[in-house]
Amino acid sequence: MSLQTPRILPAHLNAFHPSSSGPRSTHTVRILGTVTGLRGDQATITCGNNGDVTLLLKPDSHLQMGKLVEVVGKVTDLEDGQGLGIRVLGTTDWGNPSDCDYKIYEQVVEATHRFKSIFYDAE
Amino acid sequence: MDGGYNNNYNSYGGGGGGGFMPGEMNSPSGGKGGDRDNKTLRPVTVKQIVDASQPFPEANYQVDGADVANVLFIGQVRNISSQSTNVTYKIDDGTGEIEVKKWVDSGSADSMDTDEGKAPGSGKNEIELNGYARVSGAIKSFGNKRYIGAHNVLPVKDINELHCHILEATVVHLFFTRGPPGGANAGAKGAVAAGGDAVMGGADDYGAGQNRALMSMSPLAKKVYQVLRTEPQDDTGLHVQQIAAKMNVPATDVARAGEELLGAGVIFSTSDEQTWAILEY
Repeated sequence: MSLQTPRILPAHLNAFHPSSSGPRSTHTVRILGTVTGLRGDQATITCGNNGDVTLLLKPDSHLQMGKLVEVVGKVTDLEDGQGLGIRVLGTTDWGNPSDCDYKIYEQVVEATHRFKSIFYDAE
Repeated sequence: MDGGYNNNYNSYGGGGGGGFMPGEMNSPSGGKGGDRDNKTLRPVTVKQIVDASQPFPEANYQVDGADVANVLFIGQVRNISSQSTNVTYKIDDGTGEIEVKKWVDSGSADSMDTDEGKAPGSGKNEIELNGYARVSGAIKSFGNKRYIGAHNVLPVKDINELHCHILEATVVHLFFTRGPPGGANAGAKGAVAAGGDAVMGGADDYGAGQNRALMSMSPLAKKVYQVLRTEPQDDTGLHVQQIAAKMNVPATDVARAGEELLGAGVIFSTSDEQTWAILEY
């Protein structure tokens, strides 16, 4: 089917990197985090207790510090070999991070990958 | 419903019991007629809608082998196109995309400013592009294109609502493919479902069918079934008195629970009317 954007946590970035084993059809993912850093065309989101992810922003992305955002983007290599990041395709502002129970999101990620058949096509 | 059960029960001898689950959920007679009994609103993902099967043209759509009358899902609005008679949204929930048509209430067209119809026209209930929306409606198709005939499209402002929906859809999926939690077949089914999870039809999932019959039973009937399933026994199963002794309840209660199980065709009487065994395939 058309585009699918699996919900992930920072630990899963590797699995969705274009170079990872298996011809995975999608490198586009969804991730949820709080904006904790803004530097020009880059931003950092913190994903609960699961670490940070660097975002490569679009010129028209406007993120606000301290807001909870859901990011749809492609997993990509950062410059200078700084590991993996996400090239942003779109963001959704979900407001105050304290209004979201991140533990539930972790369960969502777990459930969507464990019971994949109702969420994503096999890669 | 009663007719269906009895038919299945009677046909056991010859048919090897193959028709149990279909009899309950998918039989042609249950198709359109059963529609009236099945007004459930089922939480799903867009992928499940796209994958929903139709046993024959004009039949009800099925997800996990169970008819779905109405579906509920949450996704991002990727496109809004307003026509004179309807508004068409394209909804993407990360698992797929589907078109949603909401008919414009003709009554509300000229009463936009009143409290009726789609009440706050510009207020909280406005659907925004790329915002999240909760859609409830029925699966329809036009030509080869599947879409949702929406009853309701409402904005979602709390992300927990979205997450809750995803988990709910998962629970309901597991319910239909593996049976109720802690059900008699839960353990055994787990292994099957882990391997066969991708089989969306699930029509050959007899265990689930049996569980589905069980789930509407009284707690006592479920217990009796459990005892029959787990207690060591020979080919003739267990006598009412034995079951009553094991469960520590009056034999009359056990007999009543047995009636229920017999009626649903999940157990059968063996050497006499009072001795039962589990009907297995």
